[in-house]
Amino acid sequence: MEVRVEGLVKRYGRVLALAGVNHVFPSGALTAVVGPSGCGKTTLLRVLAGFVQPEEGRVWMDGRDVTGVPPQARRCALVFQNYALWPHMTVFDNVAFGLRLQRLPASEVERRVRETLALVELDRVPGIERRRPKELSGGQQQRVALARALAVRPGLLLLDEPLSNLDAKVRQRVRGEIRTLQRRTGITTVYVTHDQEEALSIADDLVVMDGGRIVQSGRPEEVYAHPEDPFVAEFLGSTNVLNGTVGPDGRILPSSEGRLLFRAEDTAVWPAGQSLPPDYAWAPAEVVDCLFLGHVYRAYVRLGDTVVLADTKARVGPGQVVVAVPRDRLLIFSGSEPAARR
Amino acid sequence: MNRWERWGWTLAALPAVLVLLVTFGLPLAQSLAASFVRDGRPTLENYALVYRLYRQDVLYTLGVAAAGVLLTFACGIHLAGYFRLRAWPWVEFLLKVPLFVPFVVTGHAMRVFLQPSGTLSLALGALGLVAPGTRLGLGEGWLGLVLALTWKHLALVVLLLVGAFRAVDDSYLEAAQGFGAGYLRQTWAVLVPMSATPLALACVLTLTSMLGSFSIPLLMSRGSGPQMLMIDLYYRFGQHGDFGVASALGVISYVLASGAVYAYLRSVAR
Amino acid sequence: MRSPSPSLLGLVGRAALGALVLVAVVGPLLSLGLWSVAERWHWPAPFPQQVGMKYWSRMLQGDPLRALTRGVTIASVTTVLALAMAVPVAYLAARRRLPAGPLALALFILPQAFPQLPVFASATVLFYRWNLAGTVPGVVLIHLVGGLVYAVWTLTAAFRSIGPELEEAAQNLGASTTRTFFRVTLPLAMPGVVASAILVFLHSLDEFNGTLLVGAPYVTTLPVYMYTASLGYELQIASVTALVLMVPGVVLLLLLERFLRAEYLAFFGHL
Repeated sequence: MEVRVEGLVKRYGRVLALAGVNHVFPSGALTAVVGPSGCGKTTLLRVLAGFVQPEEGRVWMDGRDVTGVPPQARRCALVFQNYALWPHMTVFDNVAFGLRLQRLPASEVERRVRETLALVELDRVPGIERRRPKELSGGQQQRVALARALAVRPGLLLLDEPLSNLDAKVRQRVRGEIRTLQRRTGITTVYVTHDQEEALSIADDLVVMDGGRIVQSGRPEEVYAHPEDPFVAEFLGSTNVLNGTVGPDGRILPSSEGRLLFRAEDTAVWPAGQSLPPDYAWAPAEVVDCLFLGHVYRAYVRLGDTVVLADTKARVGPGQVVVAVPRDRLLIFSGSEPAARR
Repeated sequence: MNRWERWGWTLAALPAVLVLLVTFGLPLAQSLAASFVRDGRPTLENYALVYRLYRQDVLYTLGVAAAGVLLTFACGIHLAGYFRLRAWPWVEFLLKVPLFVPFVVTGHAMRVFLQPSGTLSLALGALGLVAPGTRLGLGEGWLGLVLALTWKHLALVVLLLVGAFRAVDDSYLEAAQGFGAGYLRQTWAVLVPMSATPLALACVLTLTSMLGSFSIPLLMSRGSGPQMLMIDLYYRFGQHGDFGVASALGVISYVLASGAVYAYLRSVAR
Repeated sequence: MRSPSPSLLGLVGRAALGALVLVAVVGPLLSLGLWSVAERWHWPAPFPQQVGMKYWSRMLQGDPLRALTRGVTIASVTTVLALAMAVPVAYLAARRRLPAGPLALALFILPQAFPQLPVFASATVLFYRWNLAGTVPGVVLIHLVGGLVYAVWTLTAAFRSIGPELEEAAQNLGASTTRTFFRVTLPLAMPGVVASAILVFLHSLDEFNGTLLVGAPYVTTLPVYMYTASLGYELQIASVTALVLMVPGVVLLLLLERFLRAEYLAFFGHL
């Protein structure tokens, strides 16, 4: 199902949750919508599900205008952040709920429930369909929620922060499983998350939102490598922000004209006085502190009145150093203008 | 808190305990004891008299209370579900009004409203819904009593149920709504089972309150036919001066109320 | 954030429901209002033949006025006594320092669970023995049963909502528990204390069962007066009295609806 939204506007009181959102969610693809909390991503998801009516704008599904259509008539299935599994119903009854409302015969309901439980690989747990949600692990609950959504064979699957209630290890695994499941079923999927790593790893199509607007969208690799906007760059991991420009000799000069963004992992720390390769931007600096993070050391380096982070293989002692960033990893923005690389 | 302060505070708490012991604990114990005593001798005669004179009234009381609970919850569940799903503050507010109308006032208002020549008969006659001059006999029998008890208790039940229903997260309802569940199915398949405990509690409290209702039936009854248990008790005590049989009636009402006693004690234990 | 689907059926149903609730709730109260101003109303006229304030003006003199002032006096005394006695119990209960805690608390909830009438009838027998029947102190005592229950539970909730760390901060600086209570806890709990006082006052003002048994015929408060009038088919007098009895509660509902917590409101259901 191809989903298209045009000019969506929604206010909550004086807060503009959606400030004119346009996008095409490609059929059969997994689109990840990512942004900080309050950016409007959940509102967008709820507009797609039909739980929220936009004040302006339209929603098309496969060319049909569904803007005023109530949730139950949209062939959308939403997986809630807290799963919203009804605690008083068994796993079977939860998954069967939508099918029974379609008045399918009991044998067909039974067949479809088993088929869907098998799809999310819950059929390996014997007797699980007779258990209640409380008796399941977080990961299992997540799969039941997916099964409940998929059982009605929706045209559009909506996932609202589906992994936020799982602990870190399970999250990695379930993320992969959702990806596999989406590939296998080919259901058009919109996946909302605040976690940029999760979004990058799972998406065919990445949408970054801020302040009720889509600030950039595209293939995840493309967006990661070429952020068009300081916000996107910062959100996707460029933690270091300097007000400055790069001089002809590669030296970083403080300036209010431009902004330089770069990632901690791209930042090198060299002893002061070492000769510098030509394709680096650099500046003299002073190491303030150095923390051991496990896989790397993270150095806190003072550069003028700013502290930047640099990930290094070895511990760097306090004192004068040179901070260097490969030029092709340096994002340079002038004022609030869109990106001009190098 | 040092030892002296502890003593001081405990001493200060004592009067309240003493007052309740004297005005509630002692009378309760006395009525239990008196129900087994007649003419100064221990006996079961009081209960035999209750069986002979009042067994129909016990059944009548149970019937009225059960019908009242059924009607109250049939209305209460649907109203509370409606308020939960489609907010409607002014109607919700309106329904709270009887909460602040004392039982006696309710009894009198319902008597004026429902009695055969009451304002309901007049209003329906004036609107042409019944022939003018019709005397609807709602107020005198069990039905009028059930309506009056429901009127008074519905406010509290809706208040408790709306509170319980509001505690159910939106997502559970939206999940059902997304599959096409309407207002009725969302209420009965999601809200009611997810609020089973407060619902049962409200049910027990309403039942006990209706079983022990006194002022509403006192003002509405016409003095013949079956009576509510508390009315029997009042006349047995006040007019016949028969404390023994009145106490036996009281003990029966304690037994009927044991559900509420259990529910309250459990809430204290928590 | 639910979007209502304004179908015609839904709108008609909503209007019908609203109208039904309005008629069902307001109807009985409206008929009280009609009767209170009906100087002459012969059946089966739908409206009184003669309307006037005769019976309202009677409210301001003689027996009803006496019943009103007496009721207010009794309610005031009951409120002061109930609060003074309930505060220590509630505070100890809130800090889980009540000796024999659960047992003592059970005493303060059981009057809610048991049917009142048989207990009050039995209390009346005792009060006769102690020469308290038919006296104002006797009526105050019987009002204290409900009053103490309401006061203890609302005050316990109020004290419990004040974090113990606020008290610990004061004690840490050397204040005694008692001093801390009067300087920190009680002022912070004031809204709860006021709500509790209103609740007890209303309870006493509206109390009927105990007053009828213990007080009548010597101590008459408004509810008992209304009952006597209604039973004697003085419907106008009874209706005026009923409306007067409703005033404090309804005013409270209108003013405080927003501020009264649901658990306080729930207590009113037992009045």
